[in-house]
Amino acid sequence: MRAEYFVVLGLILLFPLILSFDRKLSLYRHGRALVLAVTGMCIPFWVWDGVAALRGHWWFNDQFTVGVGWMGLPVEEWLFFPIVGFVSIFTWESTRYLWGRRRRQ
Amino acid sequence: MREYTFAAIASVVLVVLLDRALRTRLTGRVEFWVFMAVMFGFKLLFNGYLTWRPIVIYGERFYLGMRVWTIPLEDFLFGFSMITLCIVLWEVARSRLFRSSHHQAGAREAESRAFD
Repeated sequence: MRAEYFVVLGLILLFPLILSFDRKLSLYRHGRALVLAVTGMCIPFWVWDGVAALRGHWWFNDQFTVGVGWMGLPVEEWLFFPIVGFVSIFTWESTRYLWGRRRRQ
Repeated sequence: MREYTFAAIASVVLVVLLDRALRTRLTGRVEFWVFMAVMFGFKLLFNGYLTWRPIVIYGERFYLGMRVWTIPLEDFLFGFSMITLCIVLWEVARSRLFRSSHHQAGAREAESRAFD
């Protein structure tokens, strides 16, 4: 199925995105910090990914990608980094919250 | 050294140096390693699927050829750098650049310092 990589991205994002609106986290209130952190991570990793793909370190199976791409990378791969960046920040903030609560008990 | 192997090791060194230089010191905090363990748990699942299918295919000449399940060893270093860079930047942005955006941010910062 050509949408398969897209489905994987959706599964990575789904629960963190919903739970990020929990009042204890309210990540949407940190819009500027989110954009800065995610963009700052994406730029060097997009470059790495693009150069690595160009040199043949890895490539993508067109059986499982929708076939839209830019600079040698499928659109799914471009989206992979901002999605994982957001999920990382969500998981970090959740860990900090739960860890802090555990320590106070 | 093989190109992907070298790039992956170099990225970890650079990110750890950045964590020191910006004084975020994530690598010295217990909750950071708890967080990384959680991330690697999900990484095994998703990266595992991508490499098992395979949706992403690796050039044999560029990595060591050692895999954990279906995941090349270098992918764990790549993932570590990617995740850590994002959290270093997030900590700097949230605690130094955009402090006032959340009324609890200051309190939580003080609280986490108290446990360090």
